[in-house]
Amino acid sequence: MENKNQYWKGLEELNNDPKFLESKKHEFAEGIPLDEVFNESDGELNANRRDFLKYFGFSISAVALAACNKAPIKNAIPYIVKPENITPGIPNFYASTCNACSANCSILVKTREGRPIKIEGNADSPIFKGATCGAGQASLLGLYDNERLRGPKSKGADTTWEKIDSEVPAALASAKSIALVTSTINSPSTKKAIAEFTAKYPQTKHIRYEAFSQGAISSATKEAFGIEVVPGYRFDLAKVIVSFGADFLGTWISPAEYTKQWSKTRTAENKNMSRHIQIESTLSITGSNADVRYPIKPSAEAAYIISLYNKIAVLAGAPALGSLPPVELAINGIENAAKELWAAKGSSLVVSSSNLLGVQLVIHAINQLLGNIGTTVDLVNYSNQHYSDDLAFRQLVQDLTSGSVDGVVFYNVNPVYSYPEGTKLAEAIKKAKVSISSNSNLDETSENCQYLTPDSHFLESWNDSEPKAGYYTFTQPTISPVFNTRQMQESMMHWAGNSNNFYDYMLANWSGKLSGDNWTKALHDGFYQETLTAAQPKMTGSAAGIESLAYELYTNNKSKIELKLYAKVGVGDGSNAHNPWLQELPDPISKVTWDNYACISNATAKELGVKDGDKINISFKEGKLEALPVLVQPGQANNVIAVAVGYGRTNGGKSGLNVGINAYPASLLINGTHFYGQMDVKVEKAAGSYELAQTQTHHTIQGRALIKEASQNEYSHDTKAGNHDHHKAIKDSGNLITLWSERDTKGHRWTMAVDLNKCTGCGSCVVSCNAENNVPVVGRQEVLNRREMHWIRIDRYYRFRNKDNNNITREEEYNLESTGVDFENVSVTHQPLMCQQCGHAPCETVCPVLATVHSSEGLNHMAYNRCVGTRYCANNCPYKVRRFNWFKYRDNSQFDFNFNNDLGRMVINPDVTVRSRGVMEKCSFCVQRIQAGKLKAKLENRIIQDGDIKTACQQSCPADAIIFGDINDEKSEVRKYFQNDRAYFLLEEYNVQPSVAYMTKVRNVDELLNAPDAHGGKKHEAPKAGKEVEHHS
Amino acid sequence: MSYESPIRDQLVTGGKTYRDVTREITRPLESAPSKGWWFGFSLSTIVLIIWIYATGYSMVVGLGAWGLNKTVGWAFDITNFVFWVGIGHAGTLISAVLLLFRQKWRMSINRSAEAMTIFAVICAASFILSHMGRPWVAYWPIPLPNAFGTLWVNFNSPLVWDVFAISTYFSVSLVFWYIGLIPDIATVRDRATTAGRKFWYSFFAMGWTGSARTWHRYEVISLILAGISTPLVLSVHSIVSMDFATSLVPGWHTTIFPPYFVAGAIFSGFGMVLTLLIIAREVMNYKDYITEEHLDAMAKIILVTGTMVGMAYITEFFVAAYSGVEYEQYAFLNRAFGPYWWAYWTMMSCNLIAPQVFWFRKLRTNPTFLFIMSIIVNIGMWFERFVIIVTSLHRDFLPSSWAMYAPSIVEVSILIGSFGLFFFLFFLFIKFLPSINMAEVKSIIPTHAHADHGHSHASHAHEVIEKGAVHGN
Repeated sequence: MENKNQYWKGLEELNNDPKFLESKKHEFAEGIPLDEVFNESDGELNANRRDFLKYFGFSISAVALAACNKAPIKNAIPYIVKPENITPGIPNFYASTCNACSANCSILVKTREGRPIKIEGNADSPIFKGATCGAGQASLLGLYDNERLRGPKSKGADTTWEKIDSEVPAALASAKSIALVTSTINSPSTKKAIAEFTAKYPQTKHIRYEAFSQGAISSATKEAFGIEVVPGYRFDLAKVIVSFGADFLGTWISPAEYTKQWSKTRTAENKNMSRHIQIESTLSITGSNADVRYPIKPSAEAAYIISLYNKIAVLAGAPALGSLPPVELAINGIENAAKELWAAKGSSLVVSSSNLLGVQLVIHAINQLLGNIGTTVDLVNYSNQHYSDDLAFRQLVQDLTSGSVDGVVFYNVNPVYSYPEGTKLAEAIKKAKVSISSNSNLDETSENCQYLTPDSHFLESWNDSEPKAGYYTFTQPTISPVFNTRQMQESMMHWAGNSNNFYDYMLANWSGKLSGDNWTKALHDGFYQETLTAAQPKMTGSAAGIESLAYELYTNNKSKIELKLYAKVGVGDGSNAHNPWLQELPDPISKVTWDNYACISNATAKELGVKDGDKINISFKEGKLEALPVLVQPGQANNVIAVAVGYGRTNGGKSGLNVGINAYPASLLINGTHFYGQMDVKVEKAAGSYELAQTQTHHTIQGRALIKEASQNEYSHDTKAGNHDHHKAIKDSGNLITLWSERDTKGHRWTMAVDLNKCTGCGSCVVSCNAENNVPVVGRQEVLNRREMHWIRIDRYYRFRNKDNNNITREEEYNLESTGVDFENVSVTHQPLMCQQCGHAPCETVCPVLATVHSSEGLNHMAYNRCVGTRYCANNCPYKVRRFNWFKYRDNSQFDFNFNNDLGRMVINPDVTVRSRGVMEKCSFCVQRIQAGKLKAKLENRIIQDGDIKTACQQSCPADAIIFGDINDEKSEVRKYFQNDRAYFLLEEYNVQPSVAYMTKVRNVDELLNAPDAHGGKKHEAPKAGKEVEHHS
Repeated sequence: MSYESPIRDQLVTGGKTYRDVTREITRPLESAPSKGWWFGFSLSTIVLIIWIYATGYSMVVGLGAWGLNKTVGWAFDITNFVFWVGIGHAGTLISAVLLLFRQKWRMSINRSAEAMTIFAVICAASFILSHMGRPWVAYWPIPLPNAFGTLWVNFNSPLVWDVFAISTYFSVSLVFWYIGLIPDIATVRDRATTAGRKFWYSFFAMGWTGSARTWHRYEVISLILAGISTPLVLSVHSIVSMDFATSLVPGWHTTIFPPYFVAGAIFSGFGMVLTLLIIAREVMNYKDYITEEHLDAMAKIILVTGTMVGMAYITEFFVAAYSGVEYEQYAFLNRAFGPYWWAYWTMMSCNLIAPQVFWFRKLRTNPTFLFIMSIIVNIGMWFERFVIIVTSLHRDFLPSSWAMYAPSIVEVSILIGSFGLFFFLFFLFIKFLPSINMAEVKSIIPTHAHADHGHSHASHAHEVIEKGAVHGN
């Protein structure tokens, strides 16, 4: 039976012919004639001509094929034993704490295969609510900074930690007086380590130093309320905000947190939208978002604050401060502010960035009068985010110089750069018996120190922080130290004789409050909060004392040119200056990258006879700032020159070198606190000219319907106010025609809404997008060439008024200079622009090779591999969001930024292609995140929920101005935005069907921003068609 | 067949015999190159080397070597491309359209004009290649079958239409030109004295015998190719104009573009033909073949087409004003009064105003004046493309992205270098190939001249020439 289906190949098999059996064993009927080819004895080929040609042909083609693989061989070594929790391709998120500034926001760190590649806000945090700023986003790149110190150094030579730990304690012990200079420290465990250090070396004095000091606030709180803290400001509870120069949306104390709070009050649909009045000298992003803004001279600030106090005191029936005549702003600004504040007492807020103790006392007194203590000015849940002992530090410089302090330890501070008398300090440090710096880079301070004990990056460290009283946020390492660095806390412990590691130390420190599962949960969540129930303190100190000085400054300084120093969003106080992402982040207001400059008002520039691109020297009593480029800045107060600090670094990382001019030497010390400016400067034109690298060089909308805005007054009557052309002329008319067949709209339809009411222009989204999408840094020259690569940009437009405070017409907008507009008085709108993912995309139809195509989910895809680089798509993009790879931006010494070294490239997101030279790229709506979200939902066998997928820009936006989602999901938030009467599309009359809706900006002002006849559908500025041609030709 | 009108002037002057024609036209081929030729050839070779270097540099380093930016994605590259394609048009018009219309005056200039077409298209094609971000994949816009499944080109894209238009134009022009050359190459072959010359000219003469049958076929194929070429005169530049017209960039999005571009192309093409022929008739002493009548006729065409493009410029303004589209209106105001006003007014004065001098016959027949005018016309037409491309792009919809463009040294080198490429090819052409169509010219020299110079025109009015007999000497 078995052999039933047996067939024989032939009789030979049937007969079991021995010859057949033998041949059956071989695979080939005839043997392979290898022997014939190779002569074993002499190793030569025995081949005949035909064989030779065969082998020759084979070898040539084999070599040719092998040579086709041009990719250099790079070994990717797989894990031999797969680490727990690491699955290649799956990111892990760790809750941690940002240490880019002392605001210490709670963050999540995204790691891939053990590499941190992205920082997100921790949305669960009750304080920070997922907010991050640009500097925080960019701090990731600091981890992969190729110029970090790679290990400890002793007197310039590399050494080991063991040697450091044997030499340093002896040296410290021999010093008769030691100063430990740190930045703001709000970590309980670090404070304990410092206490242990000072216990071991009792001659130690701990001095807190901030480069851009706001120390007067906590000093004033101490004087007024008895506790040395920065109050916990609650912008979310404030119905009226008056800010004297405090850039709380950009750089002041804890900008991401405040932006989150502020944006909550800026919902146009909410009838109680907050009213924000900004009184400042140079246009900050906070001022650019204010409803009302008054430009003032820095010297006049104190007088205005006292006047405000006195006006409120009248309303409150309290005694006035002093008896000097009141000072008043244009159109009774102070009077009106006082009335509005008083009307909202208990839910109003007055803040100031003044670093004069007396001024901050008056601010406290104003808030006390208004009953804001305990509501918007919380002194129980106070802030630990900023401490600076300016007076103590000045004393230290004197003591170091005189030799009475002969030991100094710098813990992540760089005063040689940022102290006004930095060079004097540098000399003094050299004199000290022992000098130690824990700074991560060989910066201006470190290069003068004997021992360099580089601190680990915060992404490599354990830590805890208490940015707000009772709110603890934890830092956990996301990678083992890249270099041979050690946490400074551990170093201090070791020098104090405690050889424990900092993690155990911290654990032990927490064991009373948190242990076991609670500790694990706190680490997992990233934070731990205690409810504080103490009573709010009452103001006891007096605010009097500064009136006559204030009035004197106000009256005597009217005609003098003043210098105001400010910090820029991004580079900030200069500690981030070597971060190329931040250098290339355009300033939210001036749109300048890679530089600082002298902001001058139009009128003052004319008086001084300078214009954009000129250079000026600014001289003052203590010295001079030389060859600063001029930027004529709308909104700038007349007779004030504003210069950003944080530039002009001379050491510490090449990206920050030779960028701008160090303005710190122009700051003054008044009554022991830093005053960032000069009251009387001489300005002279310097030789030469200098072009600033701006990403935007035209600043008005030219009367085009790109920005739509309405006043709260108009909006409360008519929710379509300012947006009638969308509703009447476009949306409802059905006049839009198209050549193309309508696309299928089933399935997902990814769309985005941008709320112009909330966007502050801070640029967090830009940095976040750079990190997420591997956007290369191109440097100053290429930005000058208008070739920045950012996938998302924030267009900033100015709207001017004439001298009579009326909006100017379009004709006037074409010709600002001759119109006589008031350049001090400017309205600003920030408009983020990413790829609009058009339904009928103009870029798609023109690509010859179908490299950019439409997806079934409404996205406009870009296939880099297919792109031949004709740039036709970019020309045809009406939004100009496409970016071309003009050069190879990686491994190219011409672009010596993070893509030019192996360490810097570790920041690359493996989910996103690094684009090659000659191809086009653009915003993809973070298609990799959409894909990841869809896969996750699929694995969990559910449909995608609204909010599952967040684009990078949306996730990082501290103002929640960007909303992304599926418009076909009826419950999605983005759908609600699209159905909102405020929604409009950019250039919608072109019917390219963008997927990004913008929300009409509603300003909390009474004046009419749209002419009453705007209901006809035309915008107020727009004259009848043809009229304009008549006018111009 | 030639009919000699008793009242028309001679198309070829100087009383040439068939022998004279052959001898004079083959002289540059058979004698050592003149000093003038060497000078021109060396100069154009040097400029060609600049072109090779600059093009190579931008291909190696990347297009960042140019002055383009995120806002202005095309500038010198496409300006030069359109410029060179436009130059080519006159050649096709002369050889094809005038052939169909039996305009015999074309016969002495069509060979050079066609050569100019081919070389101009080569220059234009070089810009298609070099403007690409990844020129090594330049073949991707061609619909080639491939192993990537459904990967195909986008037939909606005007750039794909361009690929078809330019490649068709080049191949048809090349074939037409070569077919026309065959009888003359055979003449040179028959006169050849060295083995090398004999071999190469024999090879390219493709066994031409001069029999009646070959002449017959020659005539037929010429007519067919002329028929194929004629629509190309209109289609190629129409398609090139659609690169702009089908986009939505204000200043590009204009239905007037196809006729306007064709007129402009013929305008600039005749400008270039004039430049070349005025040099040729001086340097090669071809004054009897390229007479003042030829110059006069070409000047008239320049006048007509220049006025046409001028009308288009003004029409664009009217349409912008009439459209009510604010972006369109701004684009045109910006052209005339924006930062690139100088380019616009250069264009206007060179293309619309300057050619109006050709209303005067005296100026139409003055070679020196014509030469200057031909240069002005070409400068104007180059600026026309620059104005259309750069001033439209640099300030379009969103003022935030407005930017300025300035060429880099590399781009300027490539522009100058492309003239090197053009003249390098042209000098080789006049050295190695007969630059005037001997066979055709022989058909239009006065027949009596062959026998007797003294006869009156009238008596030979109906004489018929058998062209089959005229090759060789």
